[in-house]
Amino acid sequence: MIRLLRILGLLVLIAVVAVGVLFWIGRDRGATPPASVDLANLGADQRQQMLERGRWVARAADCAACHTDPDGGSDLAGGLPMVTPMGTLYGTNITPSTEHGIGDYSADDLYRAVAQGVAPNGRNLYPAMPYPSYHRITRADSDALWLWLMQQRPVDKPNRPDDLMFPFNIRPGIAVWNALFRPEAEPFDPQGLENPQGEYLVDVLGHCGECHTPRNVAYALTDDHLAGEVIEGAYAPDLRPDALARRGWSGEDLVAFLHRGLSPQGVMTFRMFPVLSHSTSHLSEDDLSAIADYLADGTQLPGPQQRPPGGATAVDGHTLYLGLCAGCHGDNGQGQPHSSVPLDTNTTAMYRDPLNLIRIIAEGIPERDLAQGERMQAMPAFGGMLSDQQMAELVNYLRERWGGRPGDVTTGAVTSVLEGNESH
Amino acid sequence: MVGRINFTASINGQQVGPLDLPEDLMMVELLQEYLNLTGTRLSCGQGVCSACAIIVDDPDGGSRTVPACITGVAWLNGKTVRTIEGIAGRDDQGNPVLSPVQQAFLEHFSFQCSYCTPGFVNAATVLVERLERAPIPVEDVEDAILKALDPHICRCTGYVRYYQAVRDVILSTPGLTIGTVAAAERPA
Repeated sequence: MIRLLRILGLLVLIAVVAVGVLFWIGRDRGATPPASVDLANLGADQRQQMLERGRWVARAADCAACHTDPDGGSDLAGGLPMVTPMGTLYGTNITPSTEHGIGDYSADDLYRAVAQGVAPNGRNLYPAMPYPSYHRITRADSDALWLWLMQQRPVDKPNRPDDLMFPFNIRPGIAVWNALFRPEAEPFDPQGLENPQGEYLVDVLGHCGECHTPRNVAYALTDDHLAGEVIEGAYAPDLRPDALARRGWSGEDLVAFLHRGLSPQGVMTFRMFPVLSHSTSHLSEDDLSAIADYLADGTQLPGPQQRPPGGATAVDGHTLYLGLCAGCHGDNGQGQPHSSVPLDTNTTAMYRDPLNLIRIIAEGIPERDLAQGERMQAMPAFGGMLSDQQMAELVNYLRERWGGRPGDVTTGAVTSVLEGNESH
Repeated sequence: MVGRINFTASINGQQVGPLDLPEDLMMVELLQEYLNLTGTRLSCGQGVCSACAIIVDDPDGGSRTVPACITGVAWLNGKTVRTIEGIAGRDDQGNPVLSPVQQAFLEHFSFQCSYCTPGFVNAATVLVERLERAPIPVEDVEDAILKALDPHICRCTGYVRYYQAVRDVILSTPGLTIGTVAAAERPA
């Protein structure tokens, strides 16, 4: 017994020492590169150029995606809930309010927060702030962003406390996570890269991988870059070149999707809709083409294609489709321009995971003012009209007819999704 | 080549069918072109304005509206349906007797052109029937009306008189609400 206690005590001691070492390592945030310019002595033209660049950085980095005020009034005043397996975090106020925002931040402070995940008083930011992606932001872009942010209207709105479960609510503990998973802040170097603009936009500012890259048990990004992940109850699809080709994307359609929110492959939905309105719809065609080229990575993307059926569609699914879907989406899934998306080229039924398809049919989609004048009418919610078995029949019909997938979604899988028990 | 469907349904208490119909036929077309029930109005054709809302009765009790313009006969096959033609009752002499909702819409001058009215009548009827089964607190009535009528678009009078009429019906019909209305709020 005493021997067992000794072993246990030793193990606890080793664990405490290990955590202490990791904590100490994680507290070290690394070097901060010097400011790109003398921010106290900017000429008028230089200042104007930096403000324009800062606005571009804010849009490309989609700060508003998390920092917007869901009650309206400001894209930067915070309060948006972000649901994670560890609890709910709320976007913070990044207006230049000195009381509630970042009005007291220096340009160095902003760089450390964005690239290293550490606030001025040494307080660790939760990695919901995507510093594991932003860690390669250039100091010049960080400085331009700081200048632009400090020009915005301050909003004196208090931050909402996070609601995380123990032990994730112990903020200093993030230092341990940082020691294990935070990449070292290292400004982006375009030298020798084939498509530096595309890489910078996708991997650094756009932080696409924060949703589209699978996470490990510690909720850190894995090496399966952009391989798709379920996040906040929706599947953020696989963006690797072969997956994009398989789902019938073309470079042109990727650009259209990011520019207008709509393409033959689908419409911006779930968390991608705010990405469109705050970020991608404001980017230039050159930027969007760079993104599309980077995602394609030299692969010739074929565009929409007729896909062989994934299986023999069942009569019940066909009847449900005609009765509930065909009125807007057409007998043959052709859709209606500017109101209902075509389903014969839509990618949602092509995912192996039926999560998004089930949720969209069950919950519907609000009407959308997309971008550049494009819009989509509301899709009704059919959750209350379909039994779980009927939902499975309809989902399987869509998968087999247009998704190139087998109709293997069970009633139990539908029930699990609808009850929010999806095990991902 | 569009497939065919053998369609039967109960519409306004009448057994309809069996009818041999195109399987992709939308309900509004069946009502208007096959059954001469022209009270259901086709407007947007996209399920957005709710002018064409008809009532589908659940065999287990309960009812809901669906837009007839985008709901196919394939879905409604075998179901029990009510359209605007089936809302009014009949007296002993067989003369139509307006439902409380219809009467209230007239008394409140709720509509002008009336194009949206069948949809509003059906939605309000479903709401009243739901409250008969499950009364709600008086203070929740306005929210319930807003939720029920919100999908319906009217381009003439605005919505206030429709809402007031439905509120009048709900608050003056015993058994639909729980609690009491303050005297000042009680409809005249």
